[in-house]
Parts: sequence; C-alpha cells; structure tokens
Amino acid sequence: MKRALLAASAVTLSSVITLAHGQDLIVNSYGGPYEQIIQDAIIKPFEEQYGVRVIYDAVGSSQQDYAKIKATKGRPGFDVVVMSASQSLDGCREGLLEPMSVETVHNLAYLNPAISAVAGACGAVHEIQYLSLLYRTDKLTEAPTSWKDLFNEDLHGRIVLPTFANIMAAYLTQIMASVYGGDINDNIDPGFEAMTRLAAQSIGFEQASAILESYIVDGRVWAMPFWDGRAQLLVDSGAPVDYILPEEGSIPLIATLNIPVGADNKELALKFVDFFLAKTSQERWVQSYKVGSARSDIEVSDEARARKITTQADLDELLLPNLASLSANLAEWGMRWEREVVPAAR
Amino acid sequence: MSSLAINAAKDRPMRTALLRKYTPLLPPALILLLFFAIPMGMMVGLSFQPKGASGASLANYERFFNDDFTLIGLGRTVLMSGLVAICVTVMGYPVAYFLARSRSPWRAVVFALAIAPELAGVVLRTYGWLIILEDHGFINNALVGLGLISEPLPLAKNMFGVVIGLTHVILPFGILSLLTSLQGVDPNLEKSAQILGASRLSVIRHILVPLTIPGIVSSMLLAFTMSASAYATPAILGGAGFKVLATMVYEQVLFYIDWSFAAVMANVLLVMMLIVAFIGSRLEMRLHKKLQF
Amino acid sequence: MNRIISSLFWVSLVCIMAFITLPLLVVMAASLSPTAQVTLIPGEWTTRWYGDLIASRWLDPFMLSAQIAVLVAVISGVLGLLAAYVVAFEKCPGHATIMSFLLSPLAVPQIVKGVAIVLFLSSAGLYRWVGTPGLIAAHIILTLPFAVRMIATAMFNFDKNLDRAGQSLGATKAQRIRYLLLPIIKPGVFSGMTFAFIISFNNIPLSVFLVRPGETTLPITVINYLEYSLDPVLAAVNVASLLFVLAVIFAFEKIGGFSAQIHGGSK
Repeated sequence: MKRALLAASAVTLSSVITLAHGQDLIVNSYGGPYEQIIQDAIIKPFEEQYGVRVIYDAVGSSQQDYAKIKATKGRPGFDVVVMSASQSLDGCREGLLEPMSVETVHNLAYLNPAISAVAGACGAVHEIQYLSLLYRTDKLTEAPTSWKDLFNEDLHGRIVLPTFANIMAAYLTQIMASVYGGDINDNIDPGFEAMTRLAAQSIGFEQASAILESYIVDGRVWAMPFWDGRAQLLVDSGAPVDYILPEEGSIPLIATLNIPVGADNKELALKFVDFFLAKTSQERWVQSYKVGSARSDIEVSDEARARKITTQADLDELLLPNLASLSANLAEWGMRWEREVVPAAR
Repeated sequence: MSSLAINAAKDRPMRTALLRKYTPLLPPALILLLFFAIPMGMMVGLSFQPKGASGASLANYERFFNDDFTLIGLGRTVLMSGLVAICVTVMGYPVAYFLARSRSPWRAVVFALAIAPELAGVVLRTYGWLIILEDHGFINNALVGLGLISEPLPLAKNMFGVVIGLTHVILPFGILSLLTSLQGVDPNLEKSAQILGASRLSVIRHILVPLTIPGIVSSMLLAFTMSASAYATPAILGGAGFKVLATMVYEQVLFYIDWSFAAVMANVLLVMMLIVAFIGSRLEMRLHKKLQF
Repeated sequence: MNRIISSLFWVSLVCIMAFITLPLLVVMAASLSPTAQVTLIPGEWTTRWYGDLIASRWLDPFMLSAQIAVLVAVISGVLGLLAAYVVAFEKCPGHATIMSFLLSPLAVPQIVKGVAIVLFLSSAGLYRWVGTPGLIAAHIILTLPFAVRMIATAMFNFDKNLDRAGQSLGATKAQRIRYLLLPIIKPGVFSGMTFAFIISFNNIPLSVFLVRPGETTLPITVINYLEYSLDPVLAAVNVASLLFVLAVIFAFEKIGGFSAQIHGGSK
C-alpha cells in the first residue's frame, strides 16, 4: 500500500513538473464576467488576425500583479498586464515595465495626450472609467446630481464606503476636497472632513467591488461611489439602479496595458497593445465593457456617447490628479483615513 | 547550539555519534533553509532598508514602535490570538475526548464534522459566519423577530466576530493535537481510578489533564500562531476598524507597496511567535518531565 | 456529581458540534440557492450550480490542486517524520530550539512568505520555479510545521520502555523503529499528512504569488471569480471540494489507520 502511494506520487510529480512554454502570448487581467467580455471583444479577434494563441491569466488583482512583477524583478510570467496609471508610473520609475513609444505602438499617437501623459511612458491607456455616484432608482425620490447629495437625510445609514485599500477611497477623498473648497492635490483637509462626516452616516466599509456591489443590489444601501463601467453593467443586468457623473466632476480611473521588462514575448505583446488601442478594438471595448476611451476619434452609440468618456470635452471636464503626488502621499493619507474616517463609522 | 559546541570539545567517537543523531534532520532543515530561512533573511534585510534610500537604518522600526496605531494593532493581535487559543483548546477537548474514547457509531460522524471546517475554503466559510452574525444576519433577525431585542447585537465587525470565526477555522487543528495526545493515555488508568473511588472530576484533574499537557500546550501554541498570522477572517469579520498585524502586513505589501515596513511588521510578529513557541515548548518539556516520575 | 459532569460533557459536545456545523450549513444552503441571496425555503432550491462545475474552468484547477496536495502531503509526512524523530524521540541537545525553528514558518504571515519566496527565486535566477515546483516547495514550508507538531506529539507519547525492552531483546535500531515506533506513531503521521493535504488544497495567500499563467489552483480560481461576482456557483465549488477532501481523508484513514487507533483504543 505504501509502495503504491509512493509510486502514485512519483507519477504525479513527473506529470506536474512539465515546463512547456511555447510562443503563446500570456495576458493577465481580471476574472469573472470581465473575462468573457475581453475574450470576445479583443482576444479572439487578435488571435484570428495574427494566427497566435493567447493564454488568459485571470490570477490576482492588479495590486497582486504589481507585487508579483516587483518580486520577480519584471519577470512575472505574463507578457501583458492590465493595471492602472499610478502603477504604470511606479513600475516605470523602478524599471520594472517596458517603455512604449509611437514607433513600437502606432496607435499611441491617437490617444489624448493629456491622458497619455498621466500614465507615463510605460502605460498604454486602453480605457477610462470615472468615479460615479451609483444609486437605487426605486428608493430615492429624486435622482442625485451632486456629490453633496450623499449627505442627504434620507441616505442616513444607507451608504457603504470603500476601504482605503481600494483606490476608490483616496479618489473620493480628493473629489470631496475639491467639492468642499479644497484642492485634489494640495489641500486635502476638506476632503477628510467630508469623508469623516460621510463615514458617520455610512454602514461601514468594504474592500472588494463584488461585495460593495452586493450591498446596493440587495437594497441594504441606496447610494455609493462606484466606477461607471461596472455601474453600467449593473444597470444592464436589470438591477433597479442608475448612476450619474455629479456636477462637480469626477476623477478618472485610467487603466493601462503594461509589458513587464522581462516578458518572454515582447514583440507579440507590443502588437497586442497596439491591437487593443486600434480604433475598431476601442469601439468594441467601449460598447461591450461600457467604459470610456482615451481615443476621441471612435464611433460609438449615442447612449455610450452620452454616458461614457469618449470626447475631448468629456476628458476636459475630469479632475486629473497628480498621480506622483498621490503615490507620495498615499501612506500618510492612509494613516489619516484609519485614524479619522474609520472610527467615525461606529 | 551551545551544547553542540561543548560536545565538539569532547573525544571524537562521541562527537560523531551525536552528529549522526542529527542526520535525519538534514532533509527537512535543508528545505526550510532554502525556501524559508534564506527568503526570510532577505526580508529581514529589507526591513533595515529605509524607504527610497540605500544603506541600513532602524528608521522603519522606529516608525513601528513610535506609532500608537501599529502598537494597538500589535496588542490587538496578541489579545485576539490568546482568546482564540483558549477557545480552541477548551472547545476542542471534549470533542477530542469523545473521539478518543467512544466506540459509538456516531464517532465517525463526529470525526468527519470535527475536521470539516478546515475542508471548506476559508473565505466562503467566513462569509457563512457573516451571514449568521451580521446586523441583519440569522441570529439578529431571529432575536429581533422574537422581540427579545430591539437593536441588533454587535456580533460581527468586531473582536467577538473575529474570535468566533477564527475559533471555527482553527478548531480542527486543536482537536487533532489533543486527540493524538489523548490517545496516548491508557483508558485503563481512568477506569482503575474510578474503581478505586475517584470522582469524574478528580480523574479529569489528576489523570487526564496532567497526562495530556503536551496536547494542550501544542493545541494552544498552534491556535495562537495560526490566529496571529491569519488574514482572511480578521479582514472579513473584523471590519475596517479591526486592524491586526497580519492585515496591516497585507496592506503594506499589496497596497502601499512598502515592503520594508511590511517586513518590519512581519519580523515583530515572527519574534513574538518565536518567544511564545519557545516558552510553550519549554513549558511542555518541563511539565512532561515532571510527570515521568 | 458524576452525573452532572457527564451530562455537562454531552451538552457541551452537542453545542460544539452545532457551532462547527452551522456555517457549513449556510454555505450548503447558499449552493442550492437560486440567487446570490441565501434562501432557506426548500421549494426554491436548485442544483443547477453543481451542473456548472463540470467544465474545464473548474475541473482543470481541481486536478492541479489535488495533485499538488497529494505530493505535499507525502513529502511533508516523510520530512516531518525525520524531524520529529530527532526532536521528540532522540531529544537531541537543543531540541527546544530546533523545534522553534521547525515551527517558525507558522509565525510568518503567508503573504510575506509568498513575496519572500518569489523574491528569493528571482534573485537566484530560478524563474522557472515559479509555477508548480515553487507551489509545492512553498506549500511544504507551510505544512511541515503541522506535520512535525502532530508527529512529535505522537512520539512524546511513545513509551520509551518499549524501546528499551526491544533493545534488551536484541532488536537493532532499525528493527525497533520499523516494528515498534512506526506502528505506534502511525496515526500521528497520517493526521499530519491529512492536514498537509487539506492546507495545500485550500491555500490561497501563498499560491497567489506562485501560480503560473494557465496553471491555476482551485482556490485561486475561486477568489478570482469572487473578485467579480458573488454567485452560488462558488458555494457549490466549496461543497463539492469539501466532499472530495472528506473522501481523501477516509482513504488516508483506510491506509494509515487512524481509525484502527480510534477503534481499538490506545496502547
């Protein structure tokens, strides 16, 4: 019996340690329903056009992916990864990500220069979301228009907030600073004051977007900040919710495609990035994932046009934070959040 | 280590005989060295590296020990782990005793259930507890529905919820530690003591507990160390205000990308655990020796 | 007095078992629920989530996790036995210190171990180890302390007089280990291996850093899915893998006979 066990484990050992690594492109992004959308809109057309195989790697949040890139000094095992502009900047500065230029990725030339500049040399902006105000259409008598509406009496105990480890929290604080007479970069105090007041009438904090989402879907909360892309997916799913871009404006979440410096398949990775930024791909992406684009020459439905960031005018209305100063301030703001905002909730 | 050095001075055959006694240790020690000690050494090195600068300094440690927020987190970690260690051992003992002594057909069922918590993934199980304990969870809804309380009891998003959740996660480990130990106690000892007129209570006090000291210590140590480094349960059941060292480490690694500070916290945790483990195994040896007549 | 203690014992046993079972029942109810909300009304239950499990998105990770867990269990059992022998049987000088060293991986949060191992592998140029070999090595670091503890506890209980008796009857050291020590501590070895299996099979925090694209373990697949949606299929995955692990434990029990120990009482 013991011998059988040993033999069995020897067999599994040899089957497990096979190191086949072909010339497939490995793309790391998110799991769940997102995976299906990116497969249909981008990956399958790419595979057809170039006659290659893409291995989709859904492991890890973008935070975990960045940590993995850092720990492996730029050789995380995937060739392309979806992260955010602030991670692009950090990774570029630390020499972990491959710089891209118009020569290697032609479609970079069509992106809005201001947005591209925010992401730096190593990030190719493939989508833009903004922090929207998501609310229950069946519970609120009047649709909100302003961030200040979150403080309304009828939303007392009907709001959930992100934890600080969700970047939404820092952005919301910056927005509140701007709404209440401060500044998103240099005068954050009014933001913390507002968040402390907001926390006092919230039901608490959650980190994962899936959990935050479940609160508003099952009606425990009636309003909360949320990215507009996922908000739109919720609306489409038939939940009694809707979302707005409040009149004071909002901060965008600039998502980027990045290539780790040690990627095995850099050439194909650059082609993939270029393909994702192409006009037709961006159009498909905006239509299917319900997000905005940094390309203003795309043609999309009127509905997407109305609600998503697709034009120069839309882009101009956004509050663009200085990401370098955000990353420098993050630890300090985090401490402040834990000391001031969190205790106010109970 | 020092005893090794002393022995080295003695004559050769004795030394080789002693060294040979250590040879079985070689494979496990090698694996631990390669995939634990060396990597952790790198992390320790990192903890002395000031943020955004080169060289070595104690700045990160100063930051840790001068900040009431991190110190409260340390205290909370110790309190939480201590409570879980007690709960796990107290609750695990009757179950382990039943498993060790009973011959009823129910034993197989109890055994399966006793280890079942560990079989279900920790994340979903913790959400299971959340559904039971939260403000609009099963317990509060039932109590409010029965008119026993008007406001929901604060069962989740605090220390209580975390201790419940962790006890549930770690209980199987406690039961198994205690079981191995209880099986080593001859049931005839208990029987003969009872025949000689000892009450159940004194059998427990004078036979069972003293003879199972290794199991009790091992269960408490295991529970303590496991809770102190657990992440998912405190994060989900503790709520945003409930920060322990492990959850702070996660945030430093993944969100703030400040690995030096994360390494400081991990080292503080490691030193605390080593002290506890050392005290525990010393205590165990001493108590064990005392009982060997 | 005796009766009070006896009934106290039974009452507490029942309460503890209820405590253990309760959240598992919730997960089970969730796996049968038609919506993400947990339903407790029997008429509204559905088994369709279990049907969704028969797909390579769940089966492939399941196979990988099972293979890794078996290997990790066997290796931890062997290594744990070797280490426990020195520490708990021979009680070599410095055994308390060595024990602390062997248990020390337990004290480090898993994410730190994960980052540290990846950092080490990449500094040593062992990029190819990231993936299944790295996963196995990392899981062993995690499970070895458990195996050592369980086996050492069993060895502490081993009556040294038996060994002395064997010695005086002329048995060699190898024979004494083979015929006296091993059979008696076998339950300890197998409970150590069982836990190694379970820990490896369910591990998330270390695996996140070490899985290779295209080769994901089951728990990692679950949490990636969880990041985006909270639907009952996750509960179904959980219940199904719970049943699988239970089956493995009973198989281990048949081979390793910790049931024989439980049935036959102890020596």
